Amino acid sequence: MSRLIRSRWQRWINRRIPRSDVQRFTQKNLFILPTAAGVVFGVLLLIMLLTAINYQNSLIYLVTFLLGTVFVGAMHQTHRNLSGLELTLVQAGEGFAGDDIIFRLRAAAGKDDAIAIALSDGDTQVSLGHVPSGQSADVALPVGSAFRGYLRPDSIRIETRFPFGLLKAWSWMRPVSAGVVFPRPVAASDVASAVDDGDQTSSTRSPEGNDHAELRPWRDGDMSQRVMWKRFARSGQMVVADWEADKGSPHWLDFNAFSGTDHELRLSYLSWLVIERGKSGARFGLNLPGQVIEPDSGQAHATRCLRALAVWGEEKPRDMLRAAHGTRSNTDSGGKAMAGART
Amino acid sequence: MSFWSRSTPEPEKQSDSLPSQALLWLMASFALLLTPQIDRLPLWLILVCVALAGWRWLAQQGRVRLPGRWLRTGIMLALIAVYLVRVQGSFTVDTAASFFVLTVGLKWLETRSARDFYVLFYILVYLATVNFLFHQEIHWALVNIGSIALLLIGLQVLNAPDLPGGIKAGWRRLASMLLKVLPVVVLLFVFFPRMEPLWSVPLVSGQARSGISDTMRPGDISNLAQSSARAFRVTFGGPIPAHRDRYWRGLILDTLDNGTWRQSGYEPFRRPGRVDVDGGIGALEPGQYDVLMEPTDKRWAFALENSVAVSDNVVKEAEDLFRFRRPADSAVRYRLAFNDSAVQVSETLKPGDARRYLQLPASGNPRARELAAQLRQSTDDMGVIRTLLNRFREQPYFYTLRPPRMPSDGIDSLLFDEMRGFCAHYAGATTFVLRSAGIPARVVVGYQGGESGAGNEYLVVRQYDAHAWVEAWVEGEGWIRLDPTAAISPRRIESGLREAVADEGSFLENNWASAQRYGNVAVIRWMSQQLDRVNYQWQRWVVGYQGQSQLNFMSRLPGGFGMKELGYFTAGIVGVGLLIAGLISALQIRRGRSKDRYIRLLDGWYQLCGRAGVPVRSGETPATLASRLAAAEPAVAESARLFARMVNSHYYSAVSAPGSAKGDNGQHHDDELRRLRRLLSTMKRQLRRAGKAQPKIPSSNAPSGKHSD
Repeated sequence: MSRLIRSRWQRWINRRIPRSDVQRFTQKNLFILPTAAGVVFGVLLLIMLLTAINYQNSLIYLVTFLLGTVFVGAMHQTHRNLSGLELTLVQAGEGFAGDDIIFRLRAAAGKDDAIAIALSDGDTQVSLGHVPSGQSADVALPVGSAFRGYLRPDSIRIETRFPFGLLKAWSWMRPVSAGVVFPRPVAASDVASAVDDGDQTSSTRSPEGNDHAELRPWRDGDMSQRVMWKRFARSGQMVVADWEADKGSPHWLDFNAFSGTDHELRLSYLSWLVIERGKSGARFGLNLPGQVIEPDSGQAHATRCLRALAVWGEEKPRDMLRAAHGTRSNTDSGGKAMAGART
Repeated sequence: MSFWSRSTPEPEKQSDSLPSQALLWLMASFALLLTPQIDRLPLWLILVCVALAGWRWLAQQGRVRLPGRWLRTGIMLALIAVYLVRVQGSFTVDTAASFFVLTVGLKWLETRSARDFYVLFYILVYLATVNFLFHQEIHWALVNIGSIALLLIGLQVLNAPDLPGGIKAGWRRLASMLLKVLPVVVLLFVFFPRMEPLWSVPLVSGQARSGISDTMRPGDISNLAQSSARAFRVTFGGPIPAHRDRYWRGLILDTLDNGTWRQSGYEPFRRPGRVDVDGGIGALEPGQYDVLMEPTDKRWAFALENSVAVSDNVVKEAEDLFRFRRPADSAVRYRLAFNDSAVQVSETLKPGDARRYLQLPASGNPRARELAAQLRQSTDDMGVIRTLLNRFREQPYFYTLRPPRMPSDGIDSLLFDEMRGFCAHYAGATTFVLRSAGIPARVVVGYQGGESGAGNEYLVVRQYDAHAWVEAWVEGEGWIRLDPTAAISPRRIESGLREAVADEGSFLENNWASAQRYGNVAVIRWMSQQLDRVNYQWQRWVVGYQGQSQLNFMSRLPGGFGMKELGYFTAGIVGVGLLIAGLISALQIRRGRSKDRYIRLLDGWYQLCGRAGVPVRSGETPATLASRLAAAEPAVAESARLFARMVNSHYYSAVSAPGSAKGDNGQHHDDELRRLRRLLSTMKRQLRRAGKAQPKIPSSNAPSGKHSD
């Protein structure tokens, strides 16, 4: 029963707050309720009213009414803190599984000052502080990650309790963009030698006239000795046989090298190897089923490889796909598409 | 539900250290809240509170450490033990308030988290409430509300330690909030139905207050004469009676026992009834007078001779005395009237009463008894009285606030040796002599006189107006009042104590701070009178706005408000207040969003697109949106494209750029806007028609089309 209610509630929330990287908070999507302190305060007001009635004391009536209306005033103030605020996901972070992934958000205040704002995702809470009217502030929100792949917080909660902490106004932002979580690196030194072995067995095959030869188009900087002139003569294409890649087997990081191990573990090994290679500045390529990254060196290359490892076999979150080539709504009937997206 | 499970386990911002600023505001508020209680609280409690708060503050500074759990528990148990010993089981609001203060003091040692802060906040707010039970004067009301404001500032600081704009902004925010809610507060105060008390509540105070008591030892009242505290204030419907006629009877003492006059029968114990502060309604009629009495914690009310009760909260009892239904533990207003009808003189005294009013100790004061016997032999009852008063008038008796000590046979030494005394001495002695002479007599205690308040509008009776006089039973006349003090010092009766002891210089001699002591200085007198007037009006009209006076006020309004109507009206005020507040904030938000008329039109267009199933995407240009709309709804294709073009030309073309003549520009804009608006409504119409022609999938809930860039 409670699960039903919860899922109903979640659906209702999701309908109110569609996924978006930019969320502007208005009455439509802001929620406000008394905090525990506010509830106790209400009880206190009731006791004060009883005292006033029983002692026939006008001044206690007066102060009760005063505090009661201040409570209502605080409701408006608390609501105004958030209303008009615009929260933008500036950058979805990257990192290794198990670490906190930093999501960068920007809050731009509307007409009113936004005071004492806090962002939270699950357990982590970050104080955003104050954003004066018309200005904006950046904040980094760490999001805990457990597994590699796309990381997208289901909702980022934004909350304020200012001025008195008796009420809290909150809302959620449901970002579209996802961060990328690299596989947790697992030291693979022993296995790395196995890779070498594996590579060596493959490298026993002659590079020339061999299907397994790593052929690639000529690039600037390739030595002329490497160009397969025979092939050039035949087809007119400058093709280079990548001797190093083939011969220097450590330069290829191969998914298939770790036979018998779990896929995720293989990715972790590869992740570690990529980091190692990246540190030493060596050239290396990455061979994943369905995806091959040509050897290269440098930080950008390492990151590219890590990304490939992170999302291997993962699908992009659905809403994200929709946004990426989002012309579906005018091809099929718009209403249906929207309804599908909303659930 | 998810948001519950999310929000409840969240700790109340578990900050390890509270912001020093917030703590400071809390302490300031506590100190301010103690001021109304300072005269009531035992000294040890105040010192303990100061010490504990100081400890907390030093700990905040990092100079000392807060006590550990064992030490804390030890301190707590010790202090509570001391408190219990001091209270000794009497439960009144007074002791409860002391307990509150003690709790706050102890809580200082435990104020670690925001939760503790809120606990203190609640206690302090209720302490302010309790303060209102003790003091209702306007300045104490300001003090209490001020300290609540300090608490609210403290809460702001707690929730936003680095408050932008500092404390000043906090005050400004609070002040503007209070200003905004003030009308609602006033309306609620006026219209909230004042119900009857739901149950009877403990007395506010069980401690003795300064004021007359139900025993009279010579000397008691002269102590009172050193106090300028207010006893009560009176407004007369008719002219204010002359000073010499203002005998405010309070109670009757009829038993002399070991030199002390006391009441014979004990007043039967009655459970304190419900509070009834209804002091009568309407304008005062000529024969009526309205008394606002300071709390005495006693049942007795003070009344002029020959009065009848008008308001419900006083009842007339035997011996022409008035009593409240519940001890006056807070200021109480009551209304009396002079009895027009002729006094019924009861012909004879009941035998029981006669015995009661002739009671004397078996022995003592032989010379006074001898004097009585002499008088008795020569003349009748009236003669005895007259001769006795003449004796006081003719012989060198003195009225003094510094009477000598008369330890044994006090009446004899007063009458024959010292001849110096205060009203209580003379009243007691006179009663003694009359009773010795066989005339039933009794001592009456109350007040005599009272000085005019500002503008002669009302009368202020103070503790130094306390007085004791004698009533004697004379056959055929009934009880008659005789005042030996009037015979000795007519000035006391004609113009008050100040004049009576002016030569002696003993008026309020121990009371340096009293404004009344300097009553001869015109400025001080004027100021204290004006202050008193403000307070009196405050107490009558604001503090005293209860039950009957509310209904009376309502009955003057058109519509005939009753209790039920008041209830409805109050609910209405709350509802309408909330509604108006909501409307205002909604309007503000809307106005803030769409000041630009173009943007308002664009918003309308986006809504239309959303309804047509083409929600706006982030960063989309009007042209692409229009083409998408055209694809989805061919009917509006033409107008949509035109609309987009016009919007584009407004925002990007050079024509509307600043530079051209202003008036011309404005004219141009108006034209453009009108055409855009017409286009928009055309599109709406076309859409509606298209929708009718081919019933589409109901795009029921309009997606919150959101265009944000």
